Amino acid sequence: MESNHNDYHISFFKPTTAQAKWNRNLAMKLIIIWAVAVFGFHFLLRAIEKPTPEEAYVKYEMVWENILNEKASIEEMQSFAHTSLSVLGKVFIKSDHKIALQNALSWTAYQLADSSEKVLLSNEVTNFEMLKSEIESISDPEYIAAKKSLSELVSPILGLAKNDVRTKIVSFELASTEMEVFKAESKKLIPIIMSTYLIHNQSFLTDFKFLGFPFHYFYSAVFLLILFVFLCWLYCYRVDKKNLELDIDE
Amino acid sequence: MKKFLLPIIILLLSPTFLFAAGASTQLEGGFKVGPAIILITILCVFVMVGIFFRAKDTADFYAAGRGISRIGSGMAIASNWMSAASFLGMAAIMYGSGYHGLAFVVGWTGGYVLLLILMAGQIRKYGKYTAADFIGDRYYSQGLRATGAIIAILISISYCVGQFKGIGNMFEWIFGMKFLWAVILGGGVVLLYTLISGMLGVTKNMQIQYVIIIISFLIPLFILTFKFDYFWLLPQIGYGSVVSDIVSGVPLEQTTQMFNALGHEYAMVPAPEYAMPWDPATGQTFFQWMAIAFSLMVGTAGLPHVIQRFYVVPKARDARWSVVWGLFFICILYWSAPVYSAFGKILSANPEVGKLSKDAIVVYTAQLGNINKLIVGLLAAGAVSAAFSTVSGLLVAGASAFSHDLYVKVLYPEASPKKQLLMARVGTIIMAVIVTAIALLKLGLIAQLVAVAFSLAGCTIFPLFLLGIWWSGSNKQGAIAGLIAGGLVSIISITYFVAGVKGVDLPAASFITKWLGAWYFAWVGAPLAIITNIIVSKLTPETPIEIRKFLLQNVHS
Repeated sequence: MESNHNDYHISFFKPTTAQAKWNRNLAMKLIIIWAVAVFGFHFLLRAIEKPTPEEAYVKYEMVWENILNEKASIEEMQSFAHTSLSVLGKVFIKSDHKIALQNALSWTAYQLADSSEKVLLSNEVTNFEMLKSEIESISDPEYIAAKKSLSELVSPILGLAKNDVRTKIVSFELASTEMEVFKAESKKLIPIIMSTYLIHNQSFLTDFKFLGFPFHYFYSAVFLLILFVFLCWLYCYRVDKKNLELDIDE
Repeated sequence: MKKFLLPIIILLLSPTFLFAAGASTQLEGGFKVGPAIILITILCVFVMVGIFFRAKDTADFYAAGRGISRIGSGMAIASNWMSAASFLGMAAIMYGSGYHGLAFVVGWTGGYVLLLILMAGQIRKYGKYTAADFIGDRYYSQGLRATGAIIAILISISYCVGQFKGIGNMFEWIFGMKFLWAVILGGGVVLLYTLISGMLGVTKNMQIQYVIIIISFLIPLFILTFKFDYFWLLPQIGYGSVVSDIVSGVPLEQTTQMFNALGHEYAMVPAPEYAMPWDPATGQTFFQWMAIAFSLMVGTAGLPHVIQRFYVVPKARDARWSVVWGLFFICILYWSAPVYSAFGKILSANPEVGKLSKDAIVVYTAQLGNINKLIVGLLAAGAVSAAFSTVSGLLVAGASAFSHDLYVKVLYPEASPKKQLLMARVGTIIMAVIVTAIALLKLGLIAQLVAVAFSLAGCTIFPLFLLGIWWSGSNKQGAIAGLIAGGLVSIISITYFVAGVKGVDLPAASFITKWLGAWYFAWVGAPLAIITNIIVSKLTPETPIEIRKFLLQNVHS
C-alpha cells in the first residue's frame, strides 16, 4: 500500500488509502452481518417471546386452589398428581424442588388410596425403597418385581393410563416418609416450582418447525455456524481477488 | 507421512476389536479392557509420531519451521481447538442447560470471524513467534512483553485445567480408577508426550488427531440416529426431530421396541425447557446467553495458542485460509455435539439411570444407546485425543512464553538455543504440575473452566492485539492502562468465583457473580480495556515513528 502521508498513521476508522478503505468497508460489512445474525436475532427472540404454559400447568392452575383448601375432587387430585409427575420426570430439577414434589405426589397418592390400599401402598413403597438401597444391579429380579408391583398398584390410584410414560417413573418418586402430611413448606414451594418448570419463553420462532427443529434452535445450532464459515470464506475470497487486481504479493 | 500412519493406526487398532468383543455394558466403574487398549494404542501412535517429527531446534519447537500447508494448518487449528471442552463440555452444558449451551457453540465458532477479519493475516505479517513477542515489540516495552508472557501462561493454565478434568473423567471411566489418580496419570502421559515432541511433532500429530477425533465422534451419531429411527444420513440435521420430541415428549406407544442399554423404553415426558431460550428451569438468563457468546468470541480472538498457529503458515494468505479450513473442520464437530446431548436427554430420562456426570455425557449417551462397546471405547479415546491435542498446544504456548519471552527476551538474552529448549521443557513441567493441582479441585464443568480462559484472554490479549494492529495511536501507556483495567476485572471475577466455590462470603457476591460471572466477565472487561487504552493513549506521547512505519509498511501493506 502506498502512503501519501508522512506521519505513518493507521486507523481502522480513518483509512488513508483506497485499499485500506476498501478493506475497512469489507470488514465492517461482514462484522455487521455477523453481529446482527448473532445478537440481533437473539434480541428479536427476546422481544417477541411470551411466557407460554405447558398443558400440565394449565391443569395444575385449575385444581391448585381446591388442593390447597383440601376440597379437591378425585379427578382434581389425580390431575395434580399428573402435573407433579410431569415435573418430576424432567430429569434435572433442584433437589429442594424434587423433595417438595415428591411430598405432593406421595401425599396425593395416599389421599386417593382407600383404607385397604393405604396400608398396601405404604408397605410397597417402603419395601421398594429398601430394595433400591440394597441392590447391586437393577436387573435384580426381586427389585424388578417390587418396582412393577408398586407401579401397578399406584397407577390406577392416580388415574394413569397403562401407556402413560409417567407409569415408568412413578415408583421412583414416591416417598414413604412424605405420605401422610402435605407439608407447609411444600405447599409454599409448589406454585414457584410449577411456574419455573412448566412455563417457557416461546414465540412463533420457537414454535415454527424447520427440518424437524424448532426454528430458533436450528438457527443457532446449525445455520449460524454455516454463516460463520461462509463469512470467513467470503472474506478470504474477496481479499484474494483484490490482491490479484492490485497485483499484491503478500 | 499420513499415508503411512493411517494404515498403521488401523492395523494397531484391529486386534483390540477382537480382544474386547462381547464385553457387557456398564455405565459406571470397572476397568474396561477394549477402550483401554484403544486408548493406549492411540497414545502410543501419538508418541511415535512425536518422536518421528521431534523438534530439532528452537525454531522447530516454537513454530514448526513454518512449513505447514493451509489445509494441514486448518486441521491443526481444528485439532488444537477441539478440546475436551468441545468434545465433552459442549454436550455436557447443553445436557444440563439446554439452549443455554448453544451460547458456547455460537461463541466458540463466531469468534473465528473476528479473528480472521481483524487479525489472522496481520498477525502473520507482523512476523513474531508468540503473543508476548508481538506485545513487547508493538508496545516497545520489555515490561509489557513479560506481562504478556505471564498472561499467556495464566491463560494456558486456565485452559488446561478444563482439559485435565476431561482427561481425568475419561481415564476414570476407562480405567475405573479414582479421579485423583486419573488426572495424575493422564497429566503425566500428556506431559511426557509434549516434552518428547514439541510443536513440530504436535502439528503433525494434530492432523492425525483431527482425523481420529472427528471419526470417533461421528460414528456413534450415525448409529444412534439409525437405531432410534431418525434421519441418519446426516445426523446433524436428523437430530432436529429428537429436539422436537424432547419438547413435545415421547409417548410410550410411539416408540415400542426401542430401549436404552438398561432396558428402559425410549420415552419421556415433555421437556420444552431443553430447547426454549433462557428457560427459567435452567436457571440461565438472556443476559447470560449474550454475555457468554460475546465473551467467548472476543476470547477466541485473543487466545495465545490460537494466535500462535498463524505463525506456522508460510504467508498471510495461508493464515487467512487456514482459518476458513480450521473453522469448517471445527464446525463439523460443533454441528454434531448437540446430537449427543439430545439423545442423552431421552436415553437417561428414566430415574433408574441415576445421576450421570454431565462432563461424560457423550460417552454415557453412546453407552445408553447400546452402541458396541468398542465404538464407545473409540469415542472415549477420541475425547482423550481432543484433550491431548489441545493440552500439547497449550503447554507449548505456555512453555514458549516462559522460555522465549521471559527467560530469553527479558532475563538472559545470551542464552544458547540448547538452554532455551531446556527452559521450554522446564516451563512445560512446571505448568503441568500446577494444572494438575488445580484440576483436582473440580471447580466447575469443563466448558465453564475453559470459558474462564476465554474471558481472561478477551480482557487482556484481545484489546492489545486489536488496537495494536488497527490503531497506531495505541501506545505503551495506553496498553499498560488497558491491561490494568482488563486485568482488574479478571481478578475480581475469578476471585469471587473461587471464593464462591470454596464457600467464602465476599461483599456484594451476588451482584458480582451475576454481572461478572467467571465464564463471561469479558463482556465488561474487553470494552473497558479498549476504552481505557484509547483514552490513555490520547493523553500520552504518541507511538514512536518506527513502530507506526512498521505497521503501515509491513502489516497493512
